[in-house]
Amino acid sequence: MMQTPRIQHLKARMFEEKRYASIEQARIITKVYQAHESDSIPKKRALALKASLEEIAIGFDREELIVGNRTKGVRAGVVFPESGSAWVNREFETLPSRPQDRFAIREEDIQEFREKIYPYWHHRSLEDAIYGSYGDEIASIAKVVKINQKDHAQGHICPDVAMWLQKGPALLKQEAEDHLQTCDDAQKEFYECMIITLEGAMHFMQRYHDLIMASDPDDDLKKVAENCLALSQRPAESFHEALQSLWFLFVILQMESNASSFSPGRADRYLYPYYEKDIKAGILTKEEALELIECLFLKFNQIVYMRNQNSAKYFAGFPIGFNIAVGGVDENGQDTYNELSLLLLDAQYDLGLPQPNLSVRLNKHSSSTLMQRAIEVVAKGSGMPQFFNDEAIMKTMVEELGVDVQDAYNYAIVGCVELTTQGNNLGWSDAAMFNLNKALELTLNHGIDLLTGEKMGPDYGGLDTYASYEDLEHAFAQMIDYYIIQMMKAEEVVEAAHQKYLPTAFLSCVINDCMDKGIDVTAGGAHYNFSGIQMIQVANLADSLAVLKDLVYDKKKIAPQEMLAALQANFEGYEIIHTMVEHKVPKYGNDVAWVDHLGAQWCRYFRAQLRHYQNPRGGLYHTGMYTVSAHVPMGENVGASPDGRKAREPLADGGLSAVYGRDLQGPTALLKSVSRMDNNLTTNGGLLNMKFLPSFFATQAGRDNFERFLRVFVDLEIPHIQFNVVNREDLLDAKAHPERHRSLTIRVAGYTAYFVELAGKLQDEIIARTSYDHI
Amino acid sequence: MKSLPAQVMTTSKALVFDIKRFAIHDGEGLRTTVFLKGCPLRCRWCQNPEGLLPKRQPMYMSSRCIHCQLCARFIQYQDRPLLEEGEAMDLAIADCPAEALRYDSTYYSVEELIEKIKEDAPFYKYGGGVTFSGGEPLLQWRVLASLLKECQKAGIHTAIESSLYSTHLQDVMPHLDFIYCDLKLYDAQKHLQATGVDNALILENIKTLLHSPMRERMIVRTPLIPGYTATDENIAAIAQFLVNEYPDVTYELLNYNPLASAKYEWTSFTYGLDPKTKALSQEEMEHFRLIARKQGLKNVL
Repeated sequence: MMQTPRIQHLKARMFEEKRYASIEQARIITKVYQAHESDSIPKKRALALKASLEEIAIGFDREELIVGNRTKGVRAGVVFPESGSAWVNREFETLPSRPQDRFAIREEDIQEFREKIYPYWHHRSLEDAIYGSYGDEIASIAKVVKINQKDHAQGHICPDVAMWLQKGPALLKQEAEDHLQTCDDAQKEFYECMIITLEGAMHFMQRYHDLIMASDPDDDLKKVAENCLALSQRPAESFHEALQSLWFLFVILQMESNASSFSPGRADRYLYPYYEKDIKAGILTKEEALELIECLFLKFNQIVYMRNQNSAKYFAGFPIGFNIAVGGVDENGQDTYNELSLLLLDAQYDLGLPQPNLSVRLNKHSSSTLMQRAIEVVAKGSGMPQFFNDEAIMKTMVEELGVDVQDAYNYAIVGCVELTTQGNNLGWSDAAMFNLNKALELTLNHGIDLLTGEKMGPDYGGLDTYASYEDLEHAFAQMIDYYIIQMMKAEEVVEAAHQKYLPTAFLSCVINDCMDKGIDVTAGGAHYNFSGIQMIQVANLADSLAVLKDLVYDKKKIAPQEMLAALQANFEGYEIIHTMVEHKVPKYGNDVAWVDHLGAQWCRYFRAQLRHYQNPRGGLYHTGMYTVSAHVPMGENVGASPDGRKAREPLADGGLSAVYGRDLQGPTALLKSVSRMDNNLTTNGGLLNMKFLPSFFATQAGRDNFERFLRVFVDLEIPHIQFNVVNREDLLDAKAHPERHRSLTIRVAGYTAYFVELAGKLQDEIIARTSYDHI
Repeated sequence: MKSLPAQVMTTSKALVFDIKRFAIHDGEGLRTTVFLKGCPLRCRWCQNPEGLLPKRQPMYMSSRCIHCQLCARFIQYQDRPLLEEGEAMDLAIADCPAEALRYDSTYYSVEELIEKIKEDAPFYKYGGGVTFSGGEPLLQWRVLASLLKECQKAGIHTAIESSLYSTHLQDVMPHLDFIYCDLKLYDAQKHLQATGVDNALILENIKTLLHSPMRERMIVRTPLIPGYTATDENIAAIAQFLVNEYPDVTYELLNYNPLASAKYEWTSFTYGLDPKTKALSQEEMEHFRLIARKQGLKNVL
């Protein structure tokens, strides 16, 4: 397919527009809070959202078929004071020059922010509450445990889009009003807040109608305006309306929470009835449907999320996480896909942009048609789609998390690779990242940070005192336990602050069972309530432990004290030891079972320890193995490690991937190694990154081999895999001449970003990853 | 054909200089290619010179060496370790931290090698299998026959890549699912000059295959080497020979790969081609395919 002139125009326009930090919504929110000082926080939040929906400047492009955004400009970095503006106060001036995720600024905005906005929010925001009461504790464990969601809403949620399409704001408002008649006094405010935000939503849609109609619209635009007006009053009926309705939902969710990763989920399933009806009625062609989908896909790229400087390193390149999953199984557990699944892939093939984050669900019976189309899209090189494995995921969800079978069949993905049930789950999937390699470092060195020489954690001994590998294991277990306890204390604080400062009435309208229970989603209103902790990073951990077990304790080729001295010296002056650890012990990712098991064993231990805790919403803690881009900053926090990695070098990328350059036996051996990680270790999501050269996909024989490779991926029950298909030369050229490669997208880790917008260190790291053609 | 020994020696070990997993150019599907060491031919353009000699040898890769001289505790060292076989060398290799000292190949028992091949068994389910290449795999025909038999027992698809310069084709044929064989030069004299051996045995073996059921499960290949095999006369003569035997046979022309010359640094052999020799263009490849087709060959790749 070819992009239509309309799509070409809209895509070009988007790249032309500069990205600004915006304080407009902050101004509105502040005004509302000041005018309603005596109201509760939930009420103020609801009123502030309504005011934003009613007052924020809106715009549209005359070629757009889907309209709506949270700011008039595209890709604005929205300052959001309720969650946190202390960091904005600190970093405002550096936004245009910081290493990662830059934004242009306007001088007058800085002044207004400093004089009128920030002074009000100082000590009133989520960020202030968390840092004020627990900031020191969080900072003291940060090198081992990175606690997330400290200055923004949690996001990472898959709303019930199907229900939203069927009801729309008007019917939902009716439902909330019905509940208001019969509920307890304590719940009244919750329903009142829902009603306030839904009124705002209706008004927001109508404003687009009014604005367009006042602009001398052509027939296409008139239709867009009519859609907006209709959706403000009734549910979606046509396919075009359904797409517009879906987009409004996500814009409003962003305006309420300003958070990463509200994900549409299985759009090919819930949009299909609208598509099928219009096609049968003869009011929609396949080509028109594709153009509409591409208009929607462009909108997904017009919202970015502005993080603080440190956070932007961990989540580089605006992973906003509009994750759409196609394929998978139906309500009976049978493989399914439809024409829309293919059209969604076609749209990604045409556009090749970072959003949506397109995912394909595979299983043992996946159709070759869907897979071949997906492979053609992979070959185009946008890093999408990524693939998820029903065989690895569904059964484990039921058995390990107690999810209903129907919900497990219907699982979707939020953000990058985080697994969720659809429309009824606050998964809090990005709760924290636990750096197992830093915990090992402290275990080897008496709790002393190798990078600073300062005492950081408890002293359970060191390499110079452990008489056996078993002693070392015992101390490592204690260290993990210690930091899990610290992490849990911090999680309690963070979640309590979210409940207090960031209740989300609108989001609660589209997450089952909040409406029925009369409980906000942040307070545990959702049907499922999980918290996900990421284990960072099994590859380095397995490699380090293999060296310690084999060379140090079993074969005694290196004395433990000598190993410790080498680590303390960052291997300087210890070239023989450094060379030995690199070459004389097998590494994770080469299908060497005992090495892989060393890593898996500690992930199992970690997961088992987590199961002793319950999150503040009464749900389970579980684990994931993915890093987003955090393998770079988390590596910066770790000194020299026994696997031969020097101080501050990145850890392995991805989550399940091998350390780059160490998987020397090819992709099949890597898959075998990864398959040794139990499925229950990645119920919150796993991530396996691979890089292939474009030549692999040049022939049908090559694409057939790739399909075979994916089918074995399914058989081996690996939860996730994604591919970068790009030449090394192209990446080097893009680094040297970014202006020539503005639209080159690259898979970072669970999401796709514009390569030229990544910091140099992350660019180098991506270039260095292993790639396969034929080896 | 000469008479064949009655028994196949299953106890002998295979000498392997490389095992390549995820091989996608040596047959159908995702395969494992096992490179058996030793070859009777000496093609001037040989792509795997490290596989020519039929014995295990110590080797030294200076680019990996960190000059720690740990090996000097066991073997002689004069600016670099001196390569002499024996127990001392075993110790030196075991202790070399950089694996700059190593053996160029490994002995595997049939059981060990089958175990190794089975590591990718999940991939063979979708049309892959094992390919024995070399060197010349038929040089180790006894152990090769045992290996093929074991693979067949395990349901693993088997293939070989062979020069067919061997009197033992019949020993392995019953256990083979597919054969890739080379026919490099039709002219006997030129063949001798370029490869060091006469091609009568090779032509004889190809004839045998083309009159057996194997002819549906084989591909005859000619590597197009500028100045040697890549001539109009040679391709026409080969094609004519094949047409006379079986015009439906699959015939594949392989492009010259200039990258192999770099491998010679670690061997005692010298590359017999000008290192500046370039691969053929797509047009040139098509030109030769056309010649083959004109002779009446129906399946030219």
